[in-house]
Amino acid sequence: MTAPTDVASINLNDPELFLEDRFHEVFRILRKEAPVHWNPGGESWNGFWSITKYEDVRFISRNPELFISSKGIAGPGIRPEALAAALAADPAAAAQASGGNASIITMDPPRHVKMRRLVNKGFTPRAVNAMEDEIRQITNDILDKIADRGECDFVLEVASQLPLAVICGMMGIDQKDWPLMFDLTNKVLGSGDPEYQTDIPEDQRGTGEASRQTAMSGVFQMMGFFNQALADRRANPRENDLITILLESEIDGEKLTEGDLLAFCFLLIVAGNETTRNAISGGLQVLSENPDQKQRLLNDMSLIESAVEEILRWVSPVQHMARTVTADVEVGGQMLKAGDRLIMWYGSVNRDEDIFEDPYRFDITRSPNEHLAFGIGEHFCLGAGFARKELRVMFEELFRRFPDIQMSGPAERLRSNFINGIKHLPVKYTPER
Amino acid sequence: MKVKVDSDMCEGHGKCEMSAPEVFKLGEDDVSVVLVDEVPKALEEKVNRAIRLCPRQAIAWVK
Repeated sequence: MTAPTDVASINLNDPELFLEDRFHEVFRILRKEAPVHWNPGGESWNGFWSITKYEDVRFISRNPELFISSKGIAGPGIRPEALAAALAADPAAAAQASGGNASIITMDPPRHVKMRRLVNKGFTPRAVNAMEDEIRQITNDILDKIADRGECDFVLEVASQLPLAVICGMMGIDQKDWPLMFDLTNKVLGSGDPEYQTDIPEDQRGTGEASRQTAMSGVFQMMGFFNQALADRRANPRENDLITILLESEIDGEKLTEGDLLAFCFLLIVAGNETTRNAISGGLQVLSENPDQKQRLLNDMSLIESAVEEILRWVSPVQHMARTVTADVEVGGQMLKAGDRLIMWYGSVNRDEDIFEDPYRFDITRSPNEHLAFGIGEHFCLGAGFARKELRVMFEELFRRFPDIQMSGPAERLRSNFINGIKHLPVKYTPER
Repeated sequence: MKVKVDSDMCEGHGKCEMSAPEVFKLGEDDVSVVLVDEVPKALEEKVNRAIRLCPRQAIAWVK
């Protein structure tokens, strides 16, 4: 199926569009013809505006009270009638999964920054730099495991392992639980992909219902795991442990509620785990597809920082974030009404022709490169420093040890319009020794 | 004109110091401080750049 050229019929809520690269053509059309584009929605999901231009996303991001996060940040959201029906059908499960508590990603000012400040010192450039040696050690341990094989699934064995180890280490999660964290993260963020719908009979996978159930199951199991982790840290507090820090934190003299704590843990593990993985995999993919750029980097590794920024712009691992409008406001020449849902498409703004010269050219020396892969403003990615550090160290060590590493088969993409993900990436390289 | 950094929002990225080192300095506590009382006209463009680039949008002219 080719990308639709009829603007009115464009549906960015269709995850199939994101299984190949066709979504970039759709973004390009929208930027040109309907930069603030209305999708009327479906039976169970809300209508929403698609925002595809850089300056409009900047404007929205700079006004967190006008464009709030507390009504949800992923997708168009479920229609109230559909939500009521789902709750009526299975109240216990639905209540369990909805959690009821927001983490900082779905919080608005003024509470938002108070919550964020409880942990943000652990994510500053200073804190990230202090962990560089450890990150390099972890990276080399991961590469040791594949060093003599000559081929592997880069996603499963390399790209996913570094961010997983780093965030789990920061949260004091034992190595034996890392595979579980990996699996549950996939269920939650990759719920629309049949590969992760493991609780659903094979012939019923791929539906919206299968996706909902998969996500709910992932959330439920994650919450159970962190309930235990909280109990453990209460009994045995640890030093330099994000969970202990949260347990001991106070806002306005009050400790965080159990719901707040669980939601925070959930956000940290999921955000810290899935996104950087895809930047690393996507980075290796685009470098494999642009051998001249890869060679340029190999010849001069001082270009690594600039290459990392271009990888972030190119891959835009978080494809979108949603907001809800609180007062009538004009965006990009279009009137938005209070209550409207909108979705900001980072993959689009990072190819905005008005901002980036020759945006479809991958150029590791691109400058300036003020991409919005991490967002901007109130909700700027807390983990950006770690993502950048992990990307840099991974490619430094990977190319130091396996300079000829490249894709040996097609990338298997994640079926999702939220995460620009690669599930499997076969690679080959000259083994060490 | 005066410029200020919102210390609640600042997370120590240091892009302001990179853009306008005459005006901003990142402190030991990972919060940026403003070094001048009034920003000289000649530095206004650099400060505007710092305002635009700050990932947290923590900098603003004081009206």
